[in-house]
Formats: sequence, structure tokens, C-alpha cells
Amino acid sequence: MNPLDKPWAQLALALLTVLILPLFLKSGILATEILIFAMVVAACNLLLGYTGLLSFGQGIFFGIGTYAAGICLTRWSVPVPLVLAGAAVLGAATATLVGWLSIRRQGVYFVMLTLAFSQLFYFIAYTFSGLTGGDNGLLGVPRPSIGGTALDAPWSYYTYVAVCFVAVFALLVMVTQSTFGRTLLAIRENEGRAAAIGFPTRLFKIEAFAISGAVTAFGGALHAMLIGVAPLSNIEYHTSELILIMTIIGGSSSLFGSVLGAGFYLLLADALSTVWPRWLLLLGLVLVTVALFLQRGLWGLVERGYDLAFRRERAPETPAEEH
Amino acid sequence: MLNRRRFLTTSTLAAATLAAPGLVTRALAQGEALKIGVPVPISGAFAANGKFATIGALMAAEEVAAAHGVAVSTLDLDTEGKPATAVRKVQDAMAQEGVKLFAGGILSSESLAMGKEIERGGGAFMTTAGADEITGVDCNKATFRWSVPTYGAINETVRPIIDALPDAKKWYTITPQYVFGDGLLNAAKDVFAEKGIEHVGNSYHSLTDKEFSGYLTNAIAAQPDVLLLLNFGAQSSDTLRQAVSFGLKQRMTIVVAWASGLEQFEALGPDICEGVYFGAQYWHGADSALNRELVKKVQEKHGFNPNYSFAGSYICAKLLLEAAVKAGSPEGGGVAAALAGLKYQGLTGEEEIRAADHQVIKDYYLLKGKAKADMADKDDYAEIISAGKSFLAPEDAGCTMPA
Repeated sequence: MNPLDKPWAQLALALLTVLILPLFLKSGILATEILIFAMVVAACNLLLGYTGLLSFGQGIFFGIGTYAAGICLTRWSVPVPLVLAGAAVLGAATATLVGWLSIRRQGVYFVMLTLAFSQLFYFIAYTFSGLTGGDNGLLGVPRPSIGGTALDAPWSYYTYVAVCFVAVFALLVMVTQSTFGRTLLAIRENEGRAAAIGFPTRLFKIEAFAISGAVTAFGGALHAMLIGVAPLSNIEYHTSELILIMTIIGGSSSLFGSVLGAGFYLLLADALSTVWPRWLLLLGLVLVTVALFLQRGLWGLVERGYDLAFRRERAPETPAEEH
Repeated sequence: MLNRRRFLTTSTLAAATLAAPGLVTRALAQGEALKIGVPVPISGAFAANGKFATIGALMAAEEVAAAHGVAVSTLDLDTEGKPATAVRKVQDAMAQEGVKLFAGGILSSESLAMGKEIERGGGAFMTTAGADEITGVDCNKATFRWSVPTYGAINETVRPIIDALPDAKKWYTITPQYVFGDGLLNAAKDVFAEKGIEHVGNSYHSLTDKEFSGYLTNAIAAQPDVLLLLNFGAQSSDTLRQAVSFGLKQRMTIVVAWASGLEQFEALGPDICEGVYFGAQYWHGADSALNRELVKKVQEKHGFNPNYSFAGSYICAKLLLEAAVKAGSPEGGGVAAALAGLKYQGLTGEEEIRAADHQVIKDYYLLKGKAKADMADKDDYAEIISAGKSFLAPEDAGCTMPA
């Protein structure tokens, strides 16, 4: 194992990211958005990288978190910690339902089911406009307050989100390092064998879905408070697509790869979108490059760089075992 | 990364040569430059609109700079057509660049969200977005809207056609199923009820539909005299194309209540547009002094006629910048005070910014597509049949302006 893949190294890199973003970015809003998406993408990575589940349902949980914050904060003035906890619980419950129904099928049928759920939840949000604001979304979502002071300044809210990010990232590292996480890897590698030795694989996958849904909804709630609005676009399947793209670009073999994926995408979009209207073409090229030459994503590049820098010989990649 | 924003300083030389410092009030007198953010979709599905909007705002900035002797810069903010991105870009512009003035927001959802954020940041925002809520239930101190809401759009298209075609008693509608579409549909139903028109049917479609033949078949089966399309943008173009290919133009009158103007005519071409009625917020052939002047300038500088995206952005930026000059500061409170109640000669003739809800009272046009043989030039797609002002009272629109 590359030393950078060790849990303490992953956590240290996450902490380092939190500390250096303010040094390199002028925009506290952009830095905060990177951290929010970093945790959301890491939650997607738990499904894709650790469990082998390519889910188009992440936008559902993100949107649900967004609406939970929007509704609770604009209509009922619920305290923010309760809103965040409630969003996570609601996200976990929804993910359990979606996961319970979707993992009955594998491969392309699983993907299609998550895509169908994504569209279903989008139209539910669109149809119940009295609750969700429909196409206009819910406006005026306030930011949290600490000691009576609202965190309206971008870097104040960044600090709040940074604490949440580090806590969530540490939790995800613990999950992946636990017996539960190891079992997910076993399921990813060979579900039949994992089931044969007695693991209730379906239950494990549902639990992975629930954790992923909880974290994603938590991120959605933070995002609504960041931008002050709970938009319909947060529950669109494009959001699922975006989260998946970030996951793949970053690399699904490491949780910190998700941080890289989120940062890379958001910084690229921010830098290029006003310069070149067709910047999404570049994104397509990046995806093609990753698919053809960098299947371990940006994290793979980091690992290679580390190996070169410290003159270590890379361990030969073990081909997937055939069974 | 740090240089991602493109400042277009437009008037430093003009300011130096034409400066009339005495005319510029105290806060701008010390060489303070005015900055105006232009939050529009520059990439993505609405990039074409965004491109014209940024050029329009830039032209307004140049004019204000030259007229008042102040430096003015525009700051293009790519919203990507997404409310979340739009709000983040606006937040960044306010926090990092100190921008207080914003002209843009083509899509309703992003405009509503940006309006709230700009109000919170103490700025001023003028938009051309369509949602009634902008100057209705979600009106706020910072947000102004130049475009006519759904009530006016329907009243200025449906009523003149009913008057012109007294035998057309049966109307069929095709509506996108969301707040904006329902706003148009409800306004149309009110006019139908008042004028004794039989509403023989309506087909709802989603915002993602691209295929409308099923709805058109329903319309044919209902045998209406008039088909009223209440969708907009690419969806109304697709519906109209398919309606024409179904031969509906020969069977009934077709009306597009909310057309996007020259951009849409260019996309459709004269063969499809001929004989079709279109409601429009702006038309480059409108007979007003400011519009004639704008068309001339744009032709000279860019070699094309201004379309709605260009003109809307131009007038919004111009009004905001002139208000900031008058107020002596770009701070939202002063700008809003300078704008509220303002009467001026605008692109559609005499225009007024209603103080109670910040809605611009302006003409909405009913156009009729010309035959290709009748077009005087490549952009002469339509003739103006009528123009007029129809607006709900602010209290009926649902606006309670915050104190």
C-alpha cells in the first residue's frame, strides 16, 4: 500500500486542504463549495470505489438535504444543528429505500433503477411546488449563527463547513477502515464469494447506501445555507452526474481522491467558464483522458508522483482475479 | 484562478477626455469607478443569450462613461443557467470586487435567487426574467424588472387578436406545466371568460419535452380557431415547427404568446414564421427615439440588429448605472431610490419604474411574421401589429415591498 493511502495520511491531507484553501483562493464561497462537494463526492466514492455501485441517485439525497434545510430554516426556524442532523437522517432513510429497491438488480439494471429514481424524485420536487418552490426553488435560506452572530461572511461560513468536512471525512475514513468497510471491498471484488462465506451482502450494500445518502444530504443542507436558496437543480439528475464525474476524475481508490476530484472540477469550471463558453468540451477531454490513461484518476497521479519523488518502485497492479 | 474575472474597463479614455467632474456627485468624484456585474449564462444551453447580454451591458457602460465622465467597467459572471452557480458568482463579485450593481439573470429561477442575495448584500439588481414572483410575492427592495409579466404578455397578445378575429371563438392552449406556464394560462383563461371565448382544451407538457406531436394531435381533434402556445424558447420553437409541419397554419391561427424576439425568428426562418402571431418584449423595429439610436449604434459597431437579450441587458445596465451616477454611489439603497418612480424615454417609448413593486411599465408587442418576399432586410421578419401596456396593480400582483 502506498503510504498516502493510509488512513492517517488521508486525514492529514484533508486537514491540510482545509488549511491551505484560504491561502490559495480569494473566494471563500468557492472554497466552501469545494469542501461541501468534497464530502459529497467522498460519499459517492464509498459506493463506487468501495462497494462497486455506480449510482445515479446521489442527486436525490443532495436535493433532499437541500430541501430539508430550505423548508426547516425558512418556514420553521429550526436550529441549524438539528436541521443538519435531520437532513442526514432523511438522506439515510431515502437512500435506504432507494438502495433497498435498486440493489435487487445488478450492473446496468441497477444503474437504470437509480437513474429512474433520480427522475422520479425530480418530478416529485417539481410537482409539489407548494412545498419545494417548484422551478423557482426556496428563497432566503439563512446561514447558521454562532453566539448570535450570523456567519454571513464567506470565510466565517467556510470555517463552519471546514469543521463539518473534517468530521465527516474522518467518519468516512473510519468506515472504510472498519470491518464493515473491508467487507464492502470484498463485496466489490467478488459478491458471490462474500455471500458464500456468510456476509449478508445485500444488507451491507443497503447500509453503504444509507451512509452515503446521509453524508450527501448533509452536504446538500450545507449547500443550501451557502447559496441562500434551495434550487430545483440540486435534485436534478445532472447533480448526480456531476457528483459521479468528480468521483471518477478524482479517482475511486481513495477518499482523498474525491477531494481532488471536487476541487479540480470546481476550479476548472470557475476558471474557464467566463473565458470560453464551450469549456465543457475540455471537461469531456479530461474524462476521456481519465478513462483511457488514468483509471485511478488524479489520485493515481499523486501516487505515481509520490513513488517517483521517493524513488520507490511501484508495486505491480494486481489484475482483477478471475473466478 | 485569481484572474478568472474579465474586467472590461471601457471608458478610462472617454472619462479623461469627456470628464465633467462637476456633474458627478460626491461619492464618484474622487475617481471611483463604477462596476456592474452581468450575471448571465455565458456557457451551457443559454450561452447565445448570455453572449448578446454581455455585449449589450458593455455598450451601456461605454455610453454612461462617456456621458457622465466616470470610469465604468463590466464584470461578466457566467451563471451557467444554474441558480446555485449564479448566486455563488454574485456572492463572489460582491465580496471580492465590491460590485453592487447587477444587470442580468435571463432565467427566472436564477434571477429570483440572485435578487435575494443582492438585497442581502446591499446592492441593486435589474433583470429581464419572466417569473411573476420577481415583482410579485417575492419582490424586494433591491430587485427591478424590465420585462412585462405574464398578465401583460397575455393581455397584449390575446386581446388584440380576439378583436381582430371576431369569428375565432374557439381557442386551444399548449402550456409548460410550471409556475410561469400556469401564470400565462390563468391570464389567458381570464381573458377568454371576459370575451366569451370557448377554451376548447389545454395540453400540459413538462419542461423537458422536445416532442409535441401528441399535443398537436389533441389540438387538431379539438378543432380550435386559434392555437395559443404558452411555452417559450426552444420548446415554443419546436412546437411551432411541428405545428407547421402538421399543416396547422392552414387550419387555424397560431399565436406564440412569449417569443424571445429576433433570436427566435432567426432560428425558425421566415417560412415557419409567416402569418404566425408572436408576443414580444422588444423588437428592433420599434419606433422610439432611444431604440432607433440603439439600432444605429449597434449596426455601426457590431454590424447586426439588437435582439432581446442585447436590448434587455443594455437598458437594465444603463438604468442602473445612471441611477448610481445620480445617487453618487452604487450602494443599493441610493440606486433603488433613484430608480423608483423614474419616468424616462426607453427602448419601447415612454417607460416608468413603478415604485410600489419595482416593475417597469413598458409596452409589450404583438408581431406578425412576414412572408420572405415582403422582408425589407434579413431581419425584417415581422411587422408590429399592436403595442400596449397592461399590468396588474402591485397589490394584485402580490407584492408587499419590505420596508
